[in-house]
Amino acid sequence: MKLKHVTALLCAAAMSIALGTNARADDKVVKIGVILPMSGGTASIGAHAKAALEVATDIINNAHPELGNLPLAKNAGLAGLGGAKIEVVIADNQGNPATGQNQALRLITEDKVAAVFGAYQSGITLTSSAIAEKYGIPYLNSESVAANLTERGFKWFFRTTPIATDFAKAYVDFLADMKAAGAKTDAIALVHDNTEYGTSVANTIAGAFKEKGQPVALDVAYPVNATDLQGQVLQLKDKKPDVIIMISYTSDAILFAKTMQSLDYKPAILLADDAGYSDPSFIKAVGKISQGVFNRSSWSVGPSGSPSAIIADMYKKKSGEEMDDTVGRQMQGFFVLADAIDRAGSTDPAKIQVALKATDLKPEQLMMGYKGVKFDDKGQNVLASGLIIQLQDGENYTAVWPKANAVKAPVLPYKGW
Amino acid sequence: MSFVLVQVIVGGLLLGAVYALFSSGLTLVWGMMNIVNFAHGDFVMLGMYVAYVVYTLMGGGPILGAPLATLVLATVGVVVYFALIRDIMKGPMLAQILGTFGLALLLRYSVFWWFGANFLSMPPNIVGGTYAFAGLRIEASRLLAGVVALLVTLGLHLLLTRTSLGSKMLAVAEDQTAAQLMGIRPDTMQAIAWAIAAGATGLAGALIANFFYIVPTVGETLGIVAFVTVSLGGFGSVPGALVAGLLIGVIESLSGYLIGAIYKDIVVYVLFLLFLWFRPQGLMGKA
Amino acid sequence: MRRWIWLTVVAALAIAYPLLLSSPFQQRLGALVLLYAIAASAWNIVGGYAGQVSVGHVVFFGCGAYAAMGSYAKFGLSPLFGIPGGIVIAVGLAAIIGVPTLRLSGHYFSMATIAVAETMRLIVTNTDWLGAAVGLSGPTVPRNVFDLSFLSSLPYYYLFLLVLVITLFITWWMTNSRMGFYLRAIKDSERAARSLGAPASRTKLYAYMLSAALTSVSGALYAMMFGFVDPESGLGILISVKILIMAALGGAGLLFGPLVGAAILVPLEEISNSWLGGKGAGLTFVVYGAIIVLIARFQPGGLLSLFTGRKKSKSDTGAGHAP
Repeated sequence: MKLKHVTALLCAAAMSIALGTNARADDKVVKIGVILPMSGGTASIGAHAKAALEVATDIINNAHPELGNLPLAKNAGLAGLGGAKIEVVIADNQGNPATGQNQALRLITEDKVAAVFGAYQSGITLTSSAIAEKYGIPYLNSESVAANLTERGFKWFFRTTPIATDFAKAYVDFLADMKAAGAKTDAIALVHDNTEYGTSVANTIAGAFKEKGQPVALDVAYPVNATDLQGQVLQLKDKKPDVIIMISYTSDAILFAKTMQSLDYKPAILLADDAGYSDPSFIKAVGKISQGVFNRSSWSVGPSGSPSAIIADMYKKKSGEEMDDTVGRQMQGFFVLADAIDRAGSTDPAKIQVALKATDLKPEQLMMGYKGVKFDDKGQNVLASGLIIQLQDGENYTAVWPKANAVKAPVLPYKGW
Repeated sequence: MSFVLVQVIVGGLLLGAVYALFSSGLTLVWGMMNIVNFAHGDFVMLGMYVAYVVYTLMGGGPILGAPLATLVLATVGVVVYFALIRDIMKGPMLAQILGTFGLALLLRYSVFWWFGANFLSMPPNIVGGTYAFAGLRIEASRLLAGVVALLVTLGLHLLLTRTSLGSKMLAVAEDQTAAQLMGIRPDTMQAIAWAIAAGATGLAGALIANFFYIVPTVGETLGIVAFVTVSLGGFGSVPGALVAGLLIGVIESLSGYLIGAIYKDIVVYVLFLLFLWFRPQGLMGKA
Repeated sequence: MRRWIWLTVVAALAIAYPLLLSSPFQQRLGALVLLYAIAASAWNIVGGYAGQVSVGHVVFFGCGAYAAMGSYAKFGLSPLFGIPGGIVIAVGLAAIIGVPTLRLSGHYFSMATIAVAETMRLIVTNTDWLGAAVGLSGPTVPRNVFDLSFLSSLPYYYLFLLVLVITLFITWWMTNSRMGFYLRAIKDSERAARSLGAPASRTKLYAYMLSAALTSVSGALYAMMFGFVDPESGLGILISVKILIMAALGGAGLLFGPLVGAAILVPLEEISNSWLGGKGAGLTFVVYGAIIVLIARFQPGGLLSLFTGRKKSKSDTGAGHAP
């Protein structure tokens, strides 16, 4: 008796799968599959990225001569493919490596995307790019920093973002400059969560300082999404380091700022490693009590009328948020991918792969402050770089280092509230 | 050094009081109705959003937000009771987990759908700044939450032990059929219990919102703390939840300061397991 | 006789499914259904039949997943070698966890299993040798067939089908043995079972260990298919809940309950994600949550109980009201 119904249910389940349609790629449309966290704890990242990619698609698909040297902006569509339009197919990775991989498979085999773009969390980038590698589909990553991603011998994986080793070096140089300017930078404390992002970045930074003969004085690790951070702040208050480097997601970054205020603790220099500190929500929530925090970024708005300022404007109109570094890196990565498809003149994966390998974009062709985009054999962008920005007024970050890119001089010490 | 320790302990006690505050609702329904409410953390989240909406629409701090959050959540509690809990209570424990977990997703992502995924926050110092006594610093918003926690615990305890409503509720918890024979309507009593529990949870959310961040998934973080607090305190024991909350708060604070924060949760869980070994009914639960 | 006919039909359908619906995504969906069915069926032995609602089964799942990835990442062996290793670790761990916790009743047992699982997750997160928060990866470019890293989901599908059949057979055999008889007695009333001479503690422990071993296998298979495990995806409490929900939704304590639960929830999750996930409005989980709530509300004993006449299952899991 019961088996009959089991069968019925199985059939029903199977039918529902069968109904999923197999869309054929239109000649005039180039589909790019995008994997992002659209739900779960990091969903705000996905929401911002979605708006950014809509802006990027608008720039590519319509004529935007005002954007100057930016590839694909001048004319409508991809010239290399007879004016074909880009279409973005977004999939939710739910913050889960398995879901990310399933969705990569769906994008590749059901939606027949020409390339895959994603996936924010390093672990999900790892599993989803493995599928793309097996299918021989180009995969472009613009924001995951785990070093091992480009150490797997993959041939279809490309990464545009600077990684931990790049910005660890920037921190060392920045602090050396601050020291030369008279600041005390001897005792450095690393504060990081216990996620893959927090631990791997902390290790890299610690290594970079050790190499310079200045080992990190204090390492404070805490569980991600902490309910309370008083113990950590008190520990810092107790040990009085000169410099604190913060590696935190938005939730903990907000809680740290609030706890530091309530316990009246201000280090001389507070240097944040992107992530939570770049989230516009962070600035809205606690920017006013985090004045003077330094942050890593490859994004700088630039003077009004410049391409980056125009893009920032378009993004703000779309999302209601200020453009930040994470979103900027995602947009930049997407442009690099679109540019390669354009130069390939085809949606053939092998041709796109060749074009990606031949990528050689100059700084003036970019919206981000990279020195350019050029991939090594492992697929890592060797010209990726960043600058240091400071939240001087508690509302907007301004570029303060290196001098060549600085809009204002860095202000010391950390002001707080 | 020792002075910092005092600050750590005081901070831990205040944190613990907050844990107790948002756990009291859970222990009430858990103990009275044997319901494992997996959506509890999301009730706290709803309370936080009510407070936030009240703040953005009407301004004003916890004086306006807290009572409204209590009312709204009490209503939600009654609705949830009649729409879902009353029926799944009759089923096996698994059905309760299934139902309340589904409810948790439903609440969490309905809020997500409406408010988006961005982190929100009340303006700093909405309750008043930070008090400093001889170098000891206490945030007004946390102090308020701590004081309310004590009052709510006391209130719930008195309600259950000293009022006829409380006796009726306990009678229903003890033996439904017998209570019914004595002219008590189990439905009404349990709906009231849900209203009280959810109301207290909403109050907790509104007060926590003053010093925490607000995001749809915040219930996940807070829910598990509530579970541990309630089990350690003994299911159904309101004073137990207070003692357990304070204990966990101080342990977390101390272990976070002394041996590293990433181990503080391990300390709490191991302690909880050891405790179960010696006293399976919890701190103040009945044997 | 009818029973056997239907069994044959189901088996034939299960074997033919990936050939009838042969797109890569459909095949993978099929494989995922079977994978979760294995995990949920394994949980069913202790959660359904013995009535001990473990919410920490992910510990055993993680044993298998880490053993499989570890044998590749740490020793350069095929992940297959991790399966026996994972079973040994899981069974050992089950004995260590089970002896003190199985004497707890109802909610306390559930809470204790959650605490154990969270402790394990935190320990692994802070253990560098196990990859800490970064996790362990499997072979992305397979060296040979024993690395079990395939492009197509077809080999996984049939492998999982085989393991599921074995799991269900073991469960069926157990329910018809003396052990199954004891378990049913314990589930109805542990006190009565004890007074009738059933070795309650030992039986529960054996069921727990058996369940742990099979759960560990599902974890190993999971890690092989995705080629990766980290503390969140191998030891996260959400996986426990997911396994439990599948079993409960289909019908806990019924042989085919977990399979039915998996066959509904896995496609529901993946397809609703495919349709709604990209919009980023959280609608996937609104739908998912609503369906779970509706089933719990109207069919608290699980969907299969609709057909088996056990609608009002009074065999509460030791957590019900005092009679």
